[in-house]
Amino acid sequence: MNLLKSDFIIREPLLVSILVLITILFSALTHSYSHAYDRRRVTLGVEWFERGKQELGNGRPAAAVEDFRTALLYNPRNWDYSMHLADALSQGHHTEQALNYYLGLWQSQPNNGPVNLQLARLSAQKDDVPGAERYFNGAIFGDWAENASANRLTASLEMINFYLERGDSGHAESQLIILSDNLPEDPQLHTRVADLYSRVGDDQRALKQYRQAAQLDPTYLPAVLGAGEAAFRIGDDPAAQTYLSNSLRLDESNAAAKNLLAVIQAVSLLNPYQRGISDSEKAKRALRAFAVAGNRLHSCATGPGSSAAASMEPFLERGKQLKAMANARFLIQHPEEIDTLLDFSASAEKRAQSSCGEPTPDDSALLAIARRRETEER
Amino acid sequence: MSMPEVTTAAGSTPSVPVHPSWGAFANRLTAQLAFNEDRFFLILAVFIGIFAGLAVVCFRITMEWTRLYLLGSALTPSPWRAFLAPSLTGLAISALIFTVFRGSSGSGLNQTKAALYISNGYIPVRTVIGKFITASLAIGSGHSLGPEDPCLQIGAGLASAVGTRLNLSRKKLRILGPVGAAAGLAAAFNAPISAVLFVIEEVIGHWSAGILATVVLSAVSSVVTMRLFLGAEPFFRIPSVGVIRWQELVAYSVLGVLGGIASVVFSTAIGWLRPKVKASPKYVQFLCPSIAGLLLGVIALAGFPQVMGAGYDFMDQAMHNQYTWEVLGMLAGLKILATTLSFSSGTPGGMFAPTLFIGAMLGGAVGTVERLFFPNLTGSVGTYALVGMGVLFAGFLRVPITSVFMALEVSGDYTIILPVLVATMFSYLISRKLQPVPALEQITRQDGLYLPAMEEEREQEVLTVEDAMRPRPANILDSQRPVADAWMFVQGTDEEHFLVRRPSKSIAVISRRDLKKLMDAGDVRPLEETQTLAVVPYLHPDEDLQVALRQATNYPLVPVLSRANVSRILGVIDLADIMEAYRKSNRQDATRE
Repeated sequence: MNLLKSDFIIREPLLVSILVLITILFSALTHSYSHAYDRRRVTLGVEWFERGKQELGNGRPAAAVEDFRTALLYNPRNWDYSMHLADALSQGHHTEQALNYYLGLWQSQPNNGPVNLQLARLSAQKDDVPGAERYFNGAIFGDWAENASANRLTASLEMINFYLERGDSGHAESQLIILSDNLPEDPQLHTRVADLYSRVGDDQRALKQYRQAAQLDPTYLPAVLGAGEAAFRIGDDPAAQTYLSNSLRLDESNAAAKNLLAVIQAVSLLNPYQRGISDSEKAKRALRAFAVAGNRLHSCATGPGSSAAASMEPFLERGKQLKAMANARFLIQHPEEIDTLLDFSASAEKRAQSSCGEPTPDDSALLAIARRRETEER
Repeated sequence: MSMPEVTTAAGSTPSVPVHPSWGAFANRLTAQLAFNEDRFFLILAVFIGIFAGLAVVCFRITMEWTRLYLLGSALTPSPWRAFLAPSLTGLAISALIFTVFRGSSGSGLNQTKAALYISNGYIPVRTVIGKFITASLAIGSGHSLGPEDPCLQIGAGLASAVGTRLNLSRKKLRILGPVGAAAGLAAAFNAPISAVLFVIEEVIGHWSAGILATVVLSAVSSVVTMRLFLGAEPFFRIPSVGVIRWQELVAYSVLGVLGGIASVVFSTAIGWLRPKVKASPKYVQFLCPSIAGLLLGVIALAGFPQVMGAGYDFMDQAMHNQYTWEVLGMLAGLKILATTLSFSSGTPGGMFAPTLFIGAMLGGAVGTVERLFFPNLTGSVGTYALVGMGVLFAGFLRVPITSVFMALEVSGDYTIILPVLVATMFSYLISRKLQPVPALEQITRQDGLYLPAMEEEREQEVLTVEDAMRPRPANILDSQRPVADAWMFVQGTDEEHFLVRRPSKSIAVISRRDLKKLMDAGDVRPLEETQTLAVVPYLHPDEDLQVALRQATNYPLVPVLSRANVSRILGVIDLADIMEAYRKSNRQDATRE
């Protein structure tokens, strides 16, 4: 009797058992077949990935793109391959394609730090401010497989640079303030942050960061020199002198430090607004400043090959008019005219700065005095 | 249609008497444990799904191995491989088709349909093996064809083999083919809903709960099996869809129009070239796959190797904005050319993947152009590519519902529904207008087969009862009326049959002849008591005329009742009315043609 064809009670379980048996056999065969192919796929993926990395290393991003795409053909879910492909696209200046690729990766891992950072960089390149901000923040607060704090720091610094390049000092400063609260004890890092503070014009915080850096490593020249410069900018000449002298001890040949020390010296001789000096000393300093500016104008207007003569003419004319009041007695009697002389001197120096070559320390001192006055008045 | 008489006063059907004896219990147990084909069929659908899933896994891996050996492991094959592999493999495929696997060339979908309608769902195992080998060789060597059609046929073939060996009834065997086809397609597509809808929309043409259950079971089990081995990842990375602005629908409409035109170009090209190849001498037919391969190699050497094979990897790139619109447009055009060459040459393989490829490229091109002119308006180019797939699917394969669901299923994002609906409808309507015979239908006709065209069947006008019924007759009798009264009531009319209202609210019919007989016999009883009333079923105006036809052959007159109030008679219908309605409809069809 054929059990398979009968309506006998056991026909159904018997058939199901046979089908299960066939399924097991078929599955086993398929498994070994697919396993063999999977192994081959993995090997091919690795081979093409390595090839791509080599091409990328040799500066051939176009070839690397093709290799990484092939690698992904064999291992489509490999994150590393995808990231390298996107990097290669980016390096090959296929910004739009790279952006799309990173976006694809971002959709699967929106908290991935490296992807956010790359997207932020590409958005910044495209001048996409909201996109760049979103992805920079994603990178700062995202997940990093290794060196998380260092990478977050890099992302923060890049974000600050992004704002600075766009002239958005306000946002840059806000980010700097957030960043400087959590800085590790690294003099180089403090110095870098201080440099950024200087760029946004926040010299007080810049000086603080330089000081911290110099405290952590008193032999770290950029920090010491930066502290001197920042101190000078905020008008703390004694501190500036100390730091600059220290910097010269670290590097005697440092021209910038020497020059700034000379400028500080000149400021101390030319600044009529220094507190605690007598009226006659004020007048003397104003006259000295007037003379320095006059010399600068004269040499600028009459110097060999000078092209600025015409633009200096009104200043020379004004200088002649002011000469009448340029005596000590008059200035002692009319101290308010010190401002007139200093204003003229500052304007002349500013004009000369743009077209008359490198200023002397005295000229720089006059500019610094003018700057400090403006700051105080504000 | 229903009969009020059947329902009892209590509103329930009479229960079967239970005999609490051991013998009856044993009988019932035996009856329940005995082989039940319907129940077993559901279990079988799961196994067929698993077998089809496993077969598709093996098929895809074989295809990949073939590609590795013939085209190399690089994403873009080297020029000499691209030039030689498809043409030399074409020769090998011809040799196999002309000697061992004669039934393996061409579209698996049409062959499956032919098997279903011509040979009761029987597909020879040799055809399945032949399709497996030749299609994997063809696609693996770079012929511009897709693996879905072969997978569909492999699934149907496996189902047929299992059903034949299990000695299932002919009726079940005929259903088993589509069950296997859905399983094969679902695993090949990694999209069970689309596969089920496609098989219902294009292969079976109708569905019932039983068919739907088996088809769904097999499709789901095949996809699960396939995913166990190949993973659940889609064939391409799905782009984010995002919110679609209403202005963008204009661009999607343009995509629909372009897709419709591309579909027509594609099907016209195949419709033109394929009969020429089939009419050529045998030795030319033998060489055709090789010649097609050679031309494909030329296209690849000209800088467009992307058109080789199924092209899923390049669809992925198109979706992620990796090509300019010019390249995308070129790729769409060249894919039409390449697929026309490969398919018309008789090389085994399907047109699903090429259709998706063309759609993706076209969609990508439209999206990129729009982004160029309206940078603030366009969503992702990938969305356009996804919609483009559905557009070509609707235009070329003429399966609009499947197309919409496919785009939804593939994207997994409901926001795509609007653009897909708009674009696919444009494409479908344009394609229907410009190319009345669908591509697949055209191919079967070229092969000398006249299989039911599902689209034509869907489009046929359905006649309903209201198209044939006459107005409510004036002389409706009451069953309580005495015979003489009734006789008087029907005088002055030439009707042969009269409706009679009964107290139970059912309606009966009495003929003039019966009434006269009662009159002549001097019967004075009310009609109700004369035993001459024949209770008739009733119809509603919106019911299919075929249902009415079935009733009218058994009853001389059938009342048509309101659905809102079944005691209200709207009209009557008889066989002559129905025949006249059909005649009238035929005359109108003839006038239109």
